[in-house]
Amino acid sequence: MMNYIWVGMLLLGILFAGVTGNFSAFTDGLMESCSNAVQFVIGLAGIMAVWSGIMNIGKKTGLMDLVAKFAQPFIRLLFPKEKNHETIAAILMSFSANLFGAGNSATVFSLQAMTLLDKENKNKERASNAMCMFVAVNMNMVQLIPITVLKIRKDTGSVFSESIIIPGILVGFATMILSILLCKYYERKDIE
Amino acid sequence: MSSILNALSVFFIPAMLTFIIGYGIIKRAPIYDYFIEGAKEGLQSAVEILPFIIAIFVGIESLVSSGAMDFLENAVKPIFAKIGMPEGLISLILLRPVSGSGALVNLQHILETEGADTLTGRAASVMMGSCETIFYVLALYFGVTRVKQVRHALPVGIITYIFGVFLSVWICSYI
Repeated sequence: MMNYIWVGMLLLGILFAGVTGNFSAFTDGLMESCSNAVQFVIGLAGIMAVWSGIMNIGKKTGLMDLVAKFAQPFIRLLFPKEKNHETIAAILMSFSANLFGAGNSATVFSLQAMTLLDKENKNKERASNAMCMFVAVNMNMVQLIPITVLKIRKDTGSVFSESIIIPGILVGFATMILSILLCKYYERKDIE
Repeated sequence: MSSILNALSVFFIPAMLTFIIGYGIIKRAPIYDYFIEGAKEGLQSAVEILPFIIAIFVGIESLVSSGAMDFLENAVKPIFAKIGMPEGLISLILLRPVSGSGALVNLQHILETEGADTLTGRAASVMMGSCETIFYVLALYFGVTRVKQVRHALPVGIITYIFGVFLSVWICSYI
């Protein structure tokens, strides 16, 4: 699927650049985005190393098993087949990092969880129910404090910049519930 | 209320660190060695995800810098106006699913031109905090797996995104 999307994005871009005569901006944009991507990953690499290191401490000392055991009842609601403690820990870390708005750390945990879920996936070509549930819930996770948004609001002269926190939590919560229900619905309709 | 939430966000990472390292100390584990071992794996996975991230960045930039995004924006503007969406939100609604940093710049622009405390300004802020970069997340998350069919992850992402946009505007017009 990524194959079609990616090729589609590029061809559409080339087509539009041709129609609007924007080829030089298009080329500059592409070149710049490559180095932006590398910079992004370099920024991520440090945090990835730190969290992988910290997670490894949790794994080797057995703390992860303990936490996974505690969270099992909750995890079972969303991921009925999930038994692997490392995966459960990665999912939990990813959810809570998103909840607390920990930005890049959240990305790191999510990618870790996806890699682990991929290993457990029986049909490699198709996403498992657990993967879809994880991605959907993670996308719609409530964020308690949207720090960047608050800063931009303050900078642009809001007199009550924090007025959006509660509405944001309500919307986030509602979309999260909806994503769980939709995933459960699709799971029943489209057997894994 | 918001100061409690703020404190929670600030303390999240230090608390987690203390907890994990504290447990290691109680267990008398070689914490430093474990850390180095894990950090090595982390760096390796950073290198492994690089090609996927470059691909996503290039694909998104291709749409933005070629003017395809602008075209799409103009094409759907009348539809949005018909269903009562504030016109100032349209570019954000379209940009948010593909580019987080692009959406931030756009949000700043909206707040500067429309005012941060207007309905459009508040709805834009709520949307930014609670609606995700769905296409970017899908591409990135599934990029590190071998999956070719993402199944219902895509429709669920799109439906919840649209729902979130409408809910943001609706809630802000009441509160």
